[in-house]
This record gives sequence, structure tokens and C-alpha cells, in this order.
Amino acid sequence: MNEKSFEASLKRVTAPAPDPAARLRAKRAALEEFERVHAANQGVAQEIAKTSDAPRKGLWNALRLFRDDSSHGSTSMAWFVRRNLFAGVAGVCVVGLGIAMVWPVLLERQQLPVAESRQEADDDRAAIVSSALEPVAPEAGPAVAPAPAPTPAPQSAAPGPEQKPLAASAARPDAAAARAEAQAREQDKRVEISESAKSAYRESLEKSLAAKREAEVEKIIAADISQAPDKNIAESLQRADGVVAATPPASQPSKQAESNSVEEVIVTGARRSRAQATPHKGAAAPRGSISGRVASNVYTPSAPPPPPPQVALRGFTGEQYVAPIPDEGRDKFQQFEVNPVKQVADEPVSTFSADVDTASYSFVRRQLTSGRLPQKDSVRVEEMINYFDYAWPAAKSAKTPFRPTVVVSDSPWGKGRKLVHIGIKGYEISRDDAPGANLVLLLDVSGSMSSPDKLPLAVQSMELLLSSLKPTDTVGIVVYAGAAGTVLEPTPVRNKQKILGALRDLRPGGSTAGAEGIERAYQLAEAHFRKGGVNRILLATDGDFNVGIASTNELKGFVERKRVKGIFLSVLGFGQGNYRDELAQALAQNGNGVAAYIDTLGEAQKVLVQEAGASLFTIAKDVKLQVEFNPATVAEYRLVGYETRALRREDFNNDAVDAGDVGSGHTVTAIYEITPVGSETRMVDPSRYAKEPPPAVSGTAGEYGFLKIRYKLPDSDTSQLIEQPIQIVSREVSENVLRDVRFSTAVAGFGQLLRGGTFTGTLKYEDIIRQAQDAKGDDPFGYRTEFVQLVRKATVAREM
Amino acid sequence: MDEALIRRAQGGDAKSFAELLDLHYDTIYRFAWKWCGHQANAEDIAQQACMKLATSLSQYRFQAAFTSWLYRLVISCAQDWQRTQQRHDHDELPDEESMTDSPRHEDGIFLAQVLAQLAELGEGMKETALLVHAEGMSHAEAGAVLGVSESTISWRVHTIRKHMGRPAARASLAYE
Repeated sequence: MNEKSFEASLKRVTAPAPDPAARLRAKRAALEEFERVHAANQGVAQEIAKTSDAPRKGLWNALRLFRDDSSHGSTSMAWFVRRNLFAGVAGVCVVGLGIAMVWPVLLERQQLPVAESRQEADDDRAAIVSSALEPVAPEAGPAVAPAPAPTPAPQSAAPGPEQKPLAASAARPDAAAARAEAQAREQDKRVEISESAKSAYRESLEKSLAAKREAEVEKIIAADISQAPDKNIAESLQRADGVVAATPPASQPSKQAESNSVEEVIVTGARRSRAQATPHKGAAAPRGSISGRVASNVYTPSAPPPPPPQVALRGFTGEQYVAPIPDEGRDKFQQFEVNPVKQVADEPVSTFSADVDTASYSFVRRQLTSGRLPQKDSVRVEEMINYFDYAWPAAKSAKTPFRPTVVVSDSPWGKGRKLVHIGIKGYEISRDDAPGANLVLLLDVSGSMSSPDKLPLAVQSMELLLSSLKPTDTVGIVVYAGAAGTVLEPTPVRNKQKILGALRDLRPGGSTAGAEGIERAYQLAEAHFRKGGVNRILLATDGDFNVGIASTNELKGFVERKRVKGIFLSVLGFGQGNYRDELAQALAQNGNGVAAYIDTLGEAQKVLVQEAGASLFTIAKDVKLQVEFNPATVAEYRLVGYETRALRREDFNNDAVDAGDVGSGHTVTAIYEITPVGSETRMVDPSRYAKEPPPAVSGTAGEYGFLKIRYKLPDSDTSQLIEQPIQIVSREVSENVLRDVRFSTAVAGFGQLLRGGTFTGTLKYEDIIRQAQDAKGDDPFGYRTEFVQLVRKATVAREM
Repeated sequence: MDEALIRRAQGGDAKSFAELLDLHYDTIYRFAWKWCGHQANAEDIAQQACMKLATSLSQYRFQAAFTSWLYRLVISCAQDWQRTQQRHDHDELPDEESMTDSPRHEDGIFLAQVLAQLAELGEGMKETALLVHAEGMSHAEAGAVLGVSESTISWRVHTIRKHMGRPAARASLAYE
């Protein structure tokens, strides 16, 4: 049933005719109810009119904000009229109260001009009134509202002991008497007071300004918030610590109600807001001036409102950020079985595609760092191995972009077995020879990207990326949320500020308009296509690929068709909880790109700066490896990892079959565990009926097998072949290579343990730590040290 | 003509109210039946709705169409009814016996299945589907009845379509 037929069937379904008896029953019941209600209503109306209870109920009703709908209209009408009367009385009371409060101040203000003019006229004979009122006068003028706002003025003035009598005199109705009193007391120091009051006032003003400047009180008025791209920001602002949504102080609403109708939000740094909490209560200076500003709608330049975005980000990255409760296990990974042990007699050839992705390692690291063992399917051993850079000898030229290094060593976890390392290191394009890049960043800005490890981290990562690009490279930005839009047309990196500005303006949750995200990104990349250069889309997402094409297969097909045109796609994964690793992998593979998982800024640094060349510049496409084992010397073999990269034997020579790509300077390492013929520790017993292993073809008795690598140069569609035998006795290799063989063995062991350790015998985390420590080398970026820490964490991590 | 009738009924005229009931009983009953797919239950709900109409007719303010108001009333009655049912008998399955005596029992079974699925989709989904698909209301009208915005209805309809188009949803419907 599809939706059409579902709708049609809903329409088609018609109710059977109602039973007349039921109809009658219903009608009778309803009529009875009707009679009852109306009779009761009339009864109630009469009761209200008569009984002594009525006034009370009436008063209650009258004070309600809404009409009592349960009573009948005609009765409530009478009360409605009477309610107006109550409301009138209440209103008069409120107005009266208000006048009583405001009156003294009004009085004061009327006398001010007189006082001032008198003082100007004759400075020497300044009247005490004016001297006493002086502190208030200038302040009430410019800083406070045109309308009188009594409280902030006296508080913020608060220059000395004169304050108290002044306030008292202002409050009393007979101001004249009070003034006379003050006159008598302060007769002798009249001018001095005038001066000191003035300077004290100026001092306090300066102090409050300085306090403001120091505190860097950032202000956003309500209007700014309404202009923020989304309600989310406003909400997040209110939740973030250090952000106070300030309405007029609660203790003064009745006095300031008239003037303070504007709400404001004061944003301070999280620490500062705590530090200021006390001064806010004690010293009224900052607050007084702020509310004063609200009233007069004058904003001093000392505290310009910063753009709301900055504040939002600051809120997020603030120390007070509370990590959301992670929803575990919703991240999606492709399920796969560990490669089994294979008999050389049955299946002598093993074929797989190169994999330079490292996402699995980052994800595992993240899980372990939070004290949890990762999901088994999130552990892809080859990605863990390939996370590290190994000292395999590099190729000499871009023509033959890599040469294989094969090392045979004893297996640390299987007695009598051997490990065959196949390492390739891609030719490293020097920075100056790197082709020009046309990058389009496709960023997910949906609301789910708002946590600090998502969009903010993505933006920071992109900023890092800019530093590893050449000035002539171009960067465009497309975002998608509900809809999609171009944020920045491709801009040369030399125009860095513009790109940074566009990046920093990105807000999670903001809706954008335009065509669909990924299509838009490709359009943009096509429009600025760089022949002979790198044309690549970098997709940053937390897993929601609602980029316009809904079906996964369609999306893959789309990416694949564009790849043929020369536009590649890399995927950078962010966040946790909803990460769709499987899809990220599939897209990156179809788009000839890498899939990396960025969990920290350090990882961004590794992927986008140190290995920027590897991430951006492909030196060989569709790299496939095939190993044919020699049945005369090898009984069993097992490929460690690469489960998701397995190819069929016939795919190797078929250039139409896509495979992994190797970037500039990438190292790819594959490890086979083999059991030589004659070893005691075969997994599978030899067949009783089959014939003995065939004698070696002449001249190959010293080989375990034969390695073939196929690859295409980046601008070519025909593959080239590299061949090399795997010798039982390895050629001499450097000490560094041997050390890295040991390290990659440790990583492989760790990966297999995390996946359940089917083939690792008695290997324990402690053994891995020892091995890895031993083979750390100089480790310039500390990645290997981190690995050792990670294994330590795994020993104490809990099962999911 | 409806308005005059309603005003008279609001004023307490029992005869007008009876007339009003006659006019609208069928609408109420039909909708109640679609709600539960069961005749006896529909009659119950319809009776409850009629009684509620008697008590709350005075609250009708002529702001929305009377039928929209009526739908809302029936929906709230149906929801109340369902709650009381759930409280009394938790696991009573649809009464197959009583359904067979209806000539349209197949329709009823099918409807019950669809409605159960819709109810699982979330609050308001069932009502939305009934109003939009079965009653043929526009999204705006349905929004007015349910007291939500038009876009909410559109979203719900979209969700329902998506769900109903899924193979899982199709497979779990035995009928068809």
C-alpha cells in the first residue's frame, strides 16, 4: 500500500449508518443534559442575586482576569459591569500611589533649574539649597531619563555623608523646613560642599565608567536578540552561564515602571559575572548608570554592543559549558566480520583496496577517552594502523608515485606464525609544486551542530585549513540546514579575512534559502573548476546527510558521477551520538576522498595542516593490492583489517572498479599473518585426502608470495602495475623501518583486541603498551605517546 | 440559518437544540466511527459528544465554523473516552465478534490497523490523518480544529505519508 492508496482507502472507508435507536438515545440524553444545564444556570443566577454568598463570589469573579465561562452569559454580564467599578477603584489607588511616590522628585526637579541659574548668577552666594541638591542635579539631567527615575540617581551619587539628609529632605513633603534645617547645619561650609559634591559626583561618574570598562560589560538589547539569526541563539544565550537577561531590578519595579520598559541583556564573561555579583549589590554605581542608560536610551561608546554571534560562541566555549549527556550507541557503523583464516590451497589470492582513512582511530580515541570501550564495528584495524605515519621509503618521482616495502617478522601473538608488512608511502608533492586548489566547504549548520565539538570545532578546523593553503587557492562555502545556500563564492585565500569573516558568521540552526546543499556545492565547484588543479568538496557534518538527495544510493551515485568529472569529495565527521560513519565512509570512497573524524582541534591540526597535502592532493587513484601466496611455502594466511575494502580477484585488473586513493605523502600499511608450511600451529588441519602441497615452481622456493599493486595516476584512466615478490628472507631494511614495523604491529594487536581478539591468542593490553613504548621513536607530534595512553585507558574502560 | 438556530439553542430553547442535534448527529457519529472503527464504541462517543454539546454550546462564539468547533468537541470526547477505556480494561482487543455483525467489518479492521499505526506515530497524528484524509479538510481548516498552526498540520501530513509509504508499514497491514 503506498501513500496514495492509503489516502484513498481512508476516504473510501465510510461509517455504517447509525443505529436509529442509538441516535434516539443520544438525543434524549443530550436534551436531558441541556435542560439540566439551563435550569441550573437559571437557578444559579437567581441564587447569586439573592443569597449573601453572592457578593463574595461576585467579588472573586470580578477580580478574575477572564470571564467565568461556566456560568451563563446573562448572569456574568451584570457582574461584568460591576467589575469595571472595582477595576476603577483599584486603578485610582494605583495611580494615587504612583503619584505619591513620584511627587517629591517632581518637586525637586522643578526647583533644580532655579537653583542652577541662581548659582550661575552668583557663585559666591550659592544657596544651600543648590549646594545640597547639586549632586543630584547634573545626574538626574543627562544620565537619567527625561522622566524622573528617583532611585538610581541618589544611589549612584552617594558621594558622602550629605547623601542621607538630602534623601530624607526630598522625601518629606515640607521640603522647605528640611532645607532650612540643612541650611543651619551647613552654613559654614557651603561653597566647599558645593565644590566637593561636584567633584565627588564627577569621581563617581568616572568610577562607574571605569568599572564598566574593566568589566567589559557587553550589552545586547532585546532588539538585537530579535535580530539574531535564530531563536536558538537567544535561547542559548539565556542558558549560557555568564549571561544575564536583565529586566529592571525586581526591588524597584513600582518606582521605575514608567521609565524602564526596555529589557536588556547583559553579557559578561563567566568568571566576571561571578566576580561582579557582589559589587552589583553593594556599590550601586554600575547598575545605576546602566539603568540610567536604559531610561534615556543613550548608549555610551565605552561599551559597544558586540555582535551577538561572538557572544553566542563565547558562551559555548566558556568554561561553564556542561557537556550534554551523550546518547550512546546511536552512531551508525557498517557491520562486518573479521577476516577469517584462509587456506592457501583453496584461495591463494587475496585482493583489497587501499584505505587511507583514519576516522576509525579518532572515533575509538574519543570513546576510550570518555571511559568507554568503542563499539566493535567502529574499530577498523587498518584505519588504526594507517593513522600513524611510518618511515617506509618514499617514491622518487610522481611518475611512479610509490614503491612498496615488504618486511617479514615473527608474529607476537601467534607462535610459529609470521607477519608480512606491506607498506607503501605515496610520493610527497612539495608545497611549491602542489597544484592549485579549488575547495568548496559544505558545512552542516543544522541545530544539531551547535555543541562545541561540532560547528565551532568545524569552523576552527577550517581556519586551520586556510593556513595550509596557497594564497591563490580558492575557498567557497556552502551551508545546509533545512535548506541550503551559498555563504561565500569561491574567494582566493589571499583574501583571508573575508573567508574568516564568513566562517565566523556561521550559526547553527540558522535557516538558509536556496538550492539543495550538496548540489549547490558541486555547482559552485564546477563553476570555478580548475583544470589540472584540485577540485574538492569538504563536507563537514555530524551525520545528518539531509543535503538534498535523500536516498543513500542516489547520493553515492551522484558523488560518483561528479568524481568522473574531476570533482572529489572528502568527509570530515564531527560530534557524537548521531554520527553516521558508514555513510561518511561510503561517500568519501565514492568521491575519491578521505573520511576523517575530527574529535579535537589537535586532530584537525593533524588532518588539515600536517597532512593537508595528503588530504587534498591525490597522487594515485584506485589503488588496489593483490597478493598471491605460494602454496609451497605458506599454508594459511589472514589479512588483518581491510574487511570493508575487500575486492574480488577479478576486480584487480578491471579499471572500472573503484578503489581507495592515496594522497601526497600518505602511508598505507597492510599486514598479513601467515603460517608457513611445516609450522606446528596451523589453524586448520591439513586435509587427509588432498595431495601434499605442490612443489614450488622453480625459482620461487624463496618466496612467500607475490605482491601486485595497481594504481592510476590522478589524471589517467588506465591503471599501471607494480610487482614485487615477498621474500622469505627480507632484504636489509633500515632500523627506522624495523621500529615502525614493531609499532604498527602493536597498533594492529590493539585494534584486534578491541574487536574481540579472535586471533590474538594470549595477547594483552600490557604487551601492547610495552611494544608500543619500545617502538615509539622520536614521535615529533606525540601521536604514538597518545596511542600508549589510549591502550592504558582501554585497560580500565568499561564495556558499553 | 445555522447561526440563528444555534443562537436560539444557546438561549435555552430546547426545541432548537433538538433540531441542531438532528442536523449534526450524523457528522458526529461518522467521525466517531472513523476514530475508533467500531460501531458500538462510535455510538458511545457520539452520545458523549451530544451531551457535551448540550453543556458547552454556550461557549461557541461564532468565531470558527460550527463544524470545525464540533469536530474539536468530538475529538476531545473521543480522547476522553479512550482514556476511560484504557483505565478500565487494559488489554481488551478489538471485539471481533461485534465487528462481524457489521457488513463493513473489513473496513473496520483495516481502519483499526491504520489508526493504530498512526497513533504510534505521535500525538495528533491520528486526528490529522482523519481530518485531512478522511474528511478532506484543508491543512488550515484542520489546524483550526486541532488548535495548531497550518504548518504543523503540513508537517504531520508529510510524516504520515512518509511512514505509510514505507515497506514496513505496508507489510504490517494484513488487509489490502
